[in-house]
Amino acid sequence: MKAAPFAYHRPRSLDEALDLLAEHGGDAKALAGGQSLVPLLALRLAQPAVIVDLAEVPELKQRTGGRVGAMVTNAALERDPAGLPPPAVAALPHIGHFQVRNRGTLGGSLAHLDPAAEWPALALLLDARLTLRSRDRGERTLTPAEFIRGPLTTALEPDELLTSVAFPDWPADGRWGFAEVARRPGDFALAGAACTVLDGRRRVVVFAAGRLPQLLAEGDPIAVNGDLHAGAAYRLAIAGRLVEKVLAEAGERP
Amino acid sequence: MITVNGRPHPVDVEPRVTLADFLRDSLRLTGTHLGCEHGVCGACTVLLDGEAVRSCLVFAVQAEGHEVRTVEGMSGEGRPSPLQLAFERRRAFQCGFCTPGFLATGQALLDSGRTLSRENLPELLAGNICRCTGYAPIIDALLDVVDPGR
Repeated sequence: MKAAPFAYHRPRSLDEALDLLAEHGGDAKALAGGQSLVPLLALRLAQPAVIVDLAEVPELKQRTGGRVGAMVTNAALERDPAGLPPPAVAALPHIGHFQVRNRGTLGGSLAHLDPAAEWPALALLLDARLTLRSRDRGERTLTPAEFIRGPLTTALEPDELLTSVAFPDWPADGRWGFAEVARRPGDFALAGAACTVLDGRRRVVVFAAGRLPQLLAEGDPIAVNGDLHAGAAYRLAIAGRLVEKVLAEAGERP
Repeated sequence: MITVNGRPHPVDVEPRVTLADFLRDSLRLTGTHLGCEHGVCGACTVLLDGEAVRSCLVFAVQAEGHEVRTVEGMSGEGRPSPLQLAFERRRAFQCGFCTPGFLATGQALLDSGRTLSRENLPELLAGNICRCTGYAPIIDALLDVVDPGR
């Protein structure tokens, strides 16, 4: 339960951080709030030779309206949710326990891409834009579908950082719902669902139920996995109920 | 340097050493307990710049230049804090393993200025696990500090 040895760097600027990643590539791992990576290090599921701690990279903590720097903590977003769409604001109290939100970041959650986490599902639902940057290839902006490659897998190259996430403006007449089921408040959900209704168009996402968060088109079956926390039949049942619930919250007939 | 309970200490450990292990093994502040060592149980909760965090999920080097408060720093001049006294009065512990973490979480909640109630405390305390008390006396202890006259 102790991490393997690693070299530690704490860059003071984005350029310095990107230099370090360009230099060390696949041997390096970027450390955001540490609430997912440090357990992996402790369990030795991850053994990077180099850790690049992003805690003191000021560019990654900037926020302008709906554009949020990757290193903004969930606690900071909870304290000041200005610019976040309402489903994201509703999800924040469910993202870990408050002690975890004090350290955990928006970008860290997305880069880790746990299928049970709220941020990947919210990014899909809200059609956020993710900005990635590397020293040698500069900046690129991806849709959530382009960014999410698999469970715990993203489009991030070894020398690349997720620098910010842009959420679209929320229209005054937008409707939405958010709900999840967890055995203990703050634990990973056994299943979750969220929806938006914008210009009469419905968008529904289910998360924590299957191998990835799933945008659900009309008539799509919900893909579920069973594991030791909940069986597939139970997950399917509660995910279906949660979809009905969030649609009802948005004033829609399921 | 890292300031622990008001006193500066050099961080002279490998980067892979967690804040929890640094507190316990280097500073011999063994009041902070380690349960799961991967962020689930809350036993190692300390205050980092006044915020409750899991000290098993922070490396000691990350706390350089910051202030840490542990259970040892909660009593002043040998006198227990109001929360510690309330824990004693309410018998809010049995084996005591989780107690330092609950005290840190509880102190952070009290210091946050947010309204604490019988309704919201079960959820706010959900990040700390206690296998002895059933949580009710812990909630009572916190409510005693919120409203000493209740």
